Amino acid sequence: MAEPQGFDAVVIGAGVVGTSTALALVNAGLKVLIVDRGNVAQGTTSAGEGNILVSDKEPGAELELALRSRDAWFEVSEDIGGGFELEAKGGIVVARSEAGVKNLRTLGRAQRSSGIAVQDISTTELRQLEPHLSPTITEGAFYPQDAQCQPMLAAAQMMRTVKNRGGEFIGGATVTALEIRNGAVTAVETSKGKFNAPLVINATGTWAGQIAELAGSHLPIAPRRGFILVTAPTRQIIFHKVYDAEYVANVSSDDSDLQSSAVVEGTQNGTILIGASRERVGFKEGIDFPVLSILARQAIELFPILAGIQLLRVYRGFRPYAPDHLPVIGEDARIKGLWHNAGHEGAGIGLAPASAELIRDGILERGSFMNPTPFSPKRFALEGSA
Amino acid sequence: MITFTFNGQELSGVEGQSVAAALIANEERITRLTRHEEKARGLFCGIGVCYDCLITIDGQKNLRSCITLLQQGMVIEVQHGN
Amino acid sequence: MEIKYQVIVVGAGPAGLNAAKYAANAGLQVGLLDSSTKLGGQYWRHSADELLNQEVHHDFDRGSLLMDAVRANSRITIHSACSIWSASVIDEEIILRSAGTTFRTNRLILATGAYDRSLPFPGWDIPGVMTAGAAQSLLKGQGVIAGTKIVIAGTGPFLLPVAAGIAIRGGNVVGVVEAASKYRWLGGTIALLRNPAKAIEGLGYLFTLRRSKVPIRYRQAVVAAHAGASGVLESVTIANIDSDFAVHSTYSLPCDVAAVSWGFTPDTSLAGALFLKQKVATDGSVVVAVDEQQRTSHSHKGVQIFAAGEVTGIGGSDLALVEGAIAGLAAAGSKKNLKPLLSLRRRAQAFATTLEKIHPIPSGWKGWLTPETIICRCEEVNYGALVSSQAELAVTDARSAKLMTRCGMGLCQGRTCSRTLFDLLGSGQEDRINGTFRPIISPITLGELAQDGLL
Repeated sequence: MAEPQGFDAVVIGAGVVGTSTALALVNAGLKVLIVDRGNVAQGTTSAGEGNILVSDKEPGAELELALRSRDAWFEVSEDIGGGFELEAKGGIVVARSEAGVKNLRTLGRAQRSSGIAVQDISTTELRQLEPHLSPTITEGAFYPQDAQCQPMLAAAQMMRTVKNRGGEFIGGATVTALEIRNGAVTAVETSKGKFNAPLVINATGTWAGQIAELAGSHLPIAPRRGFILVTAPTRQIIFHKVYDAEYVANVSSDDSDLQSSAVVEGTQNGTILIGASRERVGFKEGIDFPVLSILARQAIELFPILAGIQLLRVYRGFRPYAPDHLPVIGEDARIKGLWHNAGHEGAGIGLAPASAELIRDGILERGSFMNPTPFSPKRFALEGSA
Repeated sequence: MITFTFNGQELSGVEGQSVAAALIANEERITRLTRHEEKARGLFCGIGVCYDCLITIDGQKNLRSCITLLQQGMVIEVQHGN
Repeated sequence: MEIKYQVIVVGAGPAGLNAAKYAANAGLQVGLLDSSTKLGGQYWRHSADELLNQEVHHDFDRGSLLMDAVRANSRITIHSACSIWSASVIDEEIILRSAGTTFRTNRLILATGAYDRSLPFPGWDIPGVMTAGAAQSLLKGQGVIAGTKIVIAGTGPFLLPVAAGIAIRGGNVVGVVEAASKYRWLGGTIALLRNPAKAIEGLGYLFTLRRSKVPIRYRQAVVAAHAGASGVLESVTIANIDSDFAVHSTYSLPCDVAAVSWGFTPDTSLAGALFLKQKVATDGSVVVAVDEQQRTSHSHKGVQIFAAGEVTGIGGSDLALVEGAIAGLAAAGSKKNLKPLLSLRRRAQAFATTLEKIHPIPSGWKGWLTPETIICRCEEVNYGALVSSQAELAVTDARSAKLMTRCGMGLCQGRTCSRTLFDLLGSGQEDRINGTFRPIISPITLGELAQDGLL
């Protein structure tokens, strides 16, 4: 059977980043093929909480990306007809120590000057927004722009739209080689055939380094393991995304030991999701129960009522991160036509649509909503090979 | 003999019976209404595996009536949702 | 609290009880864990009412003797109402966690049994529709007859004892509806001749039902259930079916209980959590793979894990008993001559194989479904939603079905719907085996989990 051909671009990876990218390209009139070694949302996307946050980012390139991406999600939802539980539920960050409160207020001030809506709140407002929050917590900040979605459905709905608009998807296709001629990519070879295209976008998240290797490029993207506890469905106890201010420090930490702080939120189907742990343990198999225990304890410290709620399942995911904790978005340092859109660490879902816009605008050689240079893969080439 | 209330009505059961058995003996089959469609459910597997016979006892939700022992004075109610 | 045993047996049904007894008699200190408050598992479900037990159990004496022997054995410590929520092997030791107690051992015997397999059909979620096991458990465990007009339906050797038990107690069984042919035993005459006790048992049930004037129909199935105004079961639609389970003609039968049995599904969740090798049995169920000595794939010098009973393949209580004995002896490293036990096992296995062969369940039941038929009871996912997720959301396997439709994501952790989901999606062996993996084996509260780390 002859493989489909005639594509303008091949996107490798059918997770939230890959499908967002394909959607942006299809909407720009390109004929797009998505390939994935598995099915839609089989990688880190299926282990995500669905966070779309601006609250956890310090002013800088990533915050700018997050701010645009948050709005882009609502535009995408409008465009594709929803169907992925997108909700502008707002986020509450709480601080429990004096130093924590100070950091929270300082960060809030800086974020405000970058255009983030943040309200400093104390006891009364905290209780109004979250009646079940522990009475020992008296200081917090409310971020009305924080949102949430169901990430697997988001990827699947975007995929559906891509296909309806002329794009194609081949699952179960493991990429085995990239054909490079005269310093430009010309085709993707997979276990299900070879697909010619002048543009290839590497959206393989935690495995992006492996795909880059196929082109002789070096992307230092490594896994950072995380667990999410999922409770039995319950009546609504938690109304926003609520997390401990410690979370921000954990995200940017280079410590390879366990970093964990409480992140708690409800979902539309009634379950409560509890995170967040970060460990650099490679692609370690199995579930480490002591880590789960810590997550449970931290969540109960925020919401004592959770002690009586049942845990039903655990998700394990490997966040893709680069050493400087910034995503990798842009054209490969050496190979023309090879674009990378990966390494979003724990913010892949939130940052997906805006990252896709940067890729699209880069390919179409036009200005975008921000200067993408801070995310460029070329920043690793300057370091030389590791 | 044990007495208990179900949806406000006083009923009786036998020592050692499960809540589900006592209700069925009293011809009450509906233990809950589902959380999305509000459909009636009751005992299905009878051995604590299916979680369909959930009921609210003394204010506590999500108890499997087929493996919960009936006790004197229990206030049992049809559960709404989870 | 932490407790160490020389061998731990999980499950106190026939396999687990016998494993514990044999291991203890061979000299080991045994911990016997079971999630129920009583011993006996599903097969020997009993109540405090002795007369009831005698009346409705055809072999309660055997079960009763074994349970007494286990209780009396000073080397066996019984932990009832004990649910294991996580299991792992760390540093040559098996760690089993329950709420409040962590158990440690380097020899484990899994005898976690099985539960009724249900097939979906329109109206199967109406109160009054239940598994045959539920009707049985109400009768044997509680002395309660499930309803006033009871239909027993499905296929397999379980239908007759359930119907007969209810009839003996004066319950009104309005029909027994068996999907297989009336002449199915023609394909199993040798098995009957080799197992005369079983043949006599079967005839006994038939006589009981005849005496109580219970109609028994063959090549028929309950294909729909209907509720009355009060929301509970009022009648069922019974179809004349062919050997592919396709519906020919139908008729209606008023009833307030439809107790349906489509065989059993082994509960291999503990095996999955321990990453033991599993395989798909001839009946399509996922079972734990074991060798001649009931050893699982995880058995080397430090840690030995065995499995016995239904969890290694559905086969009934006789087979479970002998497998338990073999596992118990093997766990104790006994040099005892196993030949008599092996011979018993062969015979019991052959009988079980015959039973399965003459009660096939072809895929024609899928034709009974409508878009509104509930597939996942916990999360209220219907067949229509599953089909549209395949068309629109790229659902191809059970994993993607779970993520996109929530099928299998509810409180029962997929125990009720997983096998159906695999069948509807045409899942291959690997997907079926992987799909049963649950790191959290049974629900545990967050408070208990938080405490656990402090032990």
